[in-house]
Amino acid sequence: MTPAIQANHLNLFYGTKQALFDVDILFEEKKITALVGPSGCGKSTLLRCLNRMNELIPTCKISGEILFRSENILKADPVELRKQIGMVFQQPNPFPKSIYDNIAYGPRAHGEHDTGKLDTIVENSLKSAALWDEVKDRLHDSALGLSGGQQQRLCIARTLAVSPEIILMDEPCSALDPIATSKIETLITDLKQKYTVIIVTHNMPQATRVSDMTGFMYLGKVIEMDETQTIFVNPAEKLTQHYITGKFG
Amino acid sequence: MSYMDNTTKKRVLREGVIKSIWLATALISAVAVAFILGHVICTALSGFLFNTNWNPTGTPPSYGIAALIIDTLLVTLGALIFSVPLGLATAVYISYVAPPRMRDVVKPVIELLAGIPSVVYGFFGMIVLGSFLQKALNIPSGACWLAASIILGIMALPTIISVSEDALFAIPKDYKEASLSLGVTYWHTISHVLLPAAASGVSAAVILGMGRAIGETMAVMMIAGNAAIIPNPIWNVLSPVRTLTATLGIEMTEVATNSMHYYALFGVATILLLITLLINLTSYWLIKRMQTGSCLPDRMRNWTHSEGMRVAVAAVAGIIVVWFLSAVLGILSAVVITAAIGAWYFGREKISPKFAEKSSFGIIYACTAAVILILAIILWDIFANGLPAISWEFLTGRPKQCGLAGGIFTAIVGTLQLVAGAILITLPIGIGAAIYFTEYSHENLLTRALRIGNDLLNGTPSIVFGLFGFAFFVIYLNWGTCMLAGQICLAFMILPTIIRTTEEALKSVPNSLREASLGLGATQWQTIRKVVLPSAAPGILTGAILSVGRAAGETAPIMFTAVVFSKRFITRDVFDPVMALPYHLFALSTTVPDVTTQHYGTAVVLIALVIAIYLAAIFSRRHFQKKLFR
Ligand SMILES: Nc1ncnc2c1ncn2[C@@H]1O[C@H](COP(=O)(O)OP(=O)(O)O)[C@@H](O)[C@H]1O
Ligand SMILES: [Mg+2]
Repeated sequence: MTPAIQANHLNLFYGTKQALFDVDILFEEKKITALVGPSGCGKSTLLRCLNRMNELIPTCKISGEILFRSENILKADPVELRKQIGMVFQQPNPFPKSIYDNIAYGPRAHGEHDTGKLDTIVENSLKSAALWDEVKDRLHDSALGLSGGQQQRLCIARTLAVSPEIILMDEPCSALDPIATSKIETLITDLKQKYTVIIVTHNMPQATRVSDMTGFMYLGKVIEMDETQTIFVNPAEKLTQHYITGKFG
Repeated sequence: MSYMDNTTKKRVLREGVIKSIWLATALISAVAVAFILGHVICTALSGFLFNTNWNPTGTPPSYGIAALIIDTLLVTLGALIFSVPLGLATAVYISYVAPPRMRDVVKPVIELLAGIPSVVYGFFGMIVLGSFLQKALNIPSGACWLAASIILGIMALPTIISVSEDALFAIPKDYKEASLSLGVTYWHTISHVLLPAAASGVSAAVILGMGRAIGETMAVMMIAGNAAIIPNPIWNVLSPVRTLTATLGIEMTEVATNSMHYYALFGVATILLLITLLINLTSYWLIKRMQTGSCLPDRMRNWTHSEGMRVAVAAVAGIIVVWFLSAVLGILSAVVITAAIGAWYFGREKISPKFAEKSSFGIIYACTAAVILILAIILWDIFANGLPAISWEFLTGRPKQCGLAGGIFTAIVGTLQLVAGAILITLPIGIGAAIYFTEYSHENLLTRALRIGNDLLNGTPSIVFGLFGFAFFVIYLNWGTCMLAGQICLAFMILPTIIRTTEEALKSVPNSLREASLGLGATQWQTIRKVVLPSAAPGILTGAILSVGRAAGETAPIMFTAVVFSKRFITRDVFDPVMALPYHLFALSTTVPDVTTQHYGTAVVLIALVIAIYLAAIFSRRHFQKKLFR
């Protein structure tokens, strides 16, 4: 078991309000880890610490350490970090550009201007995101013309194009219909051959379907973290059991 | 309809009557527009097309206005060359870079810049900029194309900044997060995602800024040199020029009614109207695109995406900028700047994103600082020189020696009378029309026509109102120069703003409030009077006060219609002429060569008056907002 990324004694404040309390958590490499818990418990906050997106909020203060490749990322350069740790958001958010330009945006920004290489990157990323067959004939149409599910897969492809090591997903299916959701779930399970995936979800069945590991959070704390099987069948904590059996929130 | 007893019928009747009143006000405003535009255009046409007295060899012999159009375009181009980069950088700073506290400083500065009356800009341009250019460049007169472009650029800045800022603000935050999460720098995100996404709105900002520059009269008249010649060679920025608006401002009072010259001036005004129309339509179209979020049409996309097109645009822009720089700063500095830009362009793929971000933000800070510095210099110059002139006698005394000495009491009172009259005329019509548009009308042909009429009137150069007022009230109705004519001209000028701000205020009242009131059985008029108008009042009031501020600083609409150079007594009859602060400053600056504290004192009082009105608007808005949400 190799850790991909690991947080130690993580405390996070929004202004004076504490949102994470002394979080210790370890995510394994090339596994899919689900974070579950009632809404407002800090899942997104924890996820957004891992690629330092929380820093966009001016009131946000963080202490503790997050180790990635045995380096504390809280002291590293966030721009470089985000090339390694990509993110997919709840609402699909393609740029108002063509499908091709959406995918090529990251590589271009990182200095790749060779047309041939860009073509290959775009094709491979779209194939990995199971979108290639649907869009290969209209790569230069606006991405905003795609359906919600296609847009979300486009966003995943856009993240893959930068070849990150870890992909963070914050409720990536909650804005989608069941068919689009199942396509994305299949896609996520395929991703773990190459990537470490951390996914926040509200949807318990989804967590059991896609994840290898599951962490349960409550009121800004990580209550427990184990194999998904264990968490859902035989959790160690009463609180976890209450949550997964639907006794609250 | 058995449930309709007599009182119900009466109520229905009353509702109908009230609705008709608002329709009438909407019609009045539309008819006013149609009348003004129609009058100007018809006069021009009757002179040009139907005048059988073709006399090309008479004196003056020729009315070729090509030189005027070219000069107008050149002056506008010069203004945009530096106001667009400065304005865009400042807008980016305000929307994306500034910490909240800095934003709260910079935004009011921009609003202040917009509030300075154009005659004060002209005065500053004459006295400070003109003599600076004269000495620095060793030219006979500082009044030239360059000076006009600089001043107009400054005047266009607030429009460019605030409209682009709105456009940038409307871009979804999602784009920023998506881009940053790919490990892209913030600057790259701004330049490659956010700005392109706002392209339509930003272009609209540039076009509206251009409209601002083309429509300005007073400032240009004071600093452009006013020779109706095409610069020779064409890039000679030190040549005097004369714009379309300045021509109207200078010649209107000198011509004999119904002479060829008279009709030619209306022809000039018609061209101005056409330009305004074009500008309004383009910006309307662009902003619409922005709101519907559509990308460029495919054909245009292929265009803008083709490498050749980009290089061509860059080359043309580059040549224009280099030419302008070399004229202004000399060949050497132009070469240095071009080399720097060229090095950046070809090396940009090699330089690290970090460095690109740092240097770009550096440029953005510098541009914002420059904008603030410009305002500081103008205000400092005016207040430092003008405050010593302010005394009790100056404020309350009557003018002596035709206004060259003594106080400016009659000018202050005259200005207040003019704006009070204007707002009294325009408020009922404007608010009524807005109520009709938002509360009663369902979109149909009539309302659309009325709305378009209103939008067309908006942004019409203020000199056109002066021209119309002169031809119609002063000459045709034979009122002579009088206060009422000026009040009506100012009223027409601010009517579109009043209608628009009232509409916005009414629209911002949530529909649930209306439905709640109607659901309780209130009639539509009761709902409007008891529920809608009270919640919209702060917005309406703010709009009205801002319009008053604008009217107080305007010179062009009253110049031929209402004012005289000096008047010892307060005007008591609306058919008598008045003295007004902005015109007083204009007349002093253009007729009295030596700058006295009299000039500066008048400028200070004028600015202080306008700023006080704006502050009143800001405070009343705060006051009402607090009351409303307590
Ligand atoms: N930008 C913010 N400013 C202040 N408080 C925030 C902000 N974002 C989230 N919070 C608070 O932090 C807590 C955790 O939020 P979040 O991580 O979004 O929860 P989850 O994703 O589990 O629903 C919540 O109580 C929320 O109110
Ligand atoms: Mg969340």
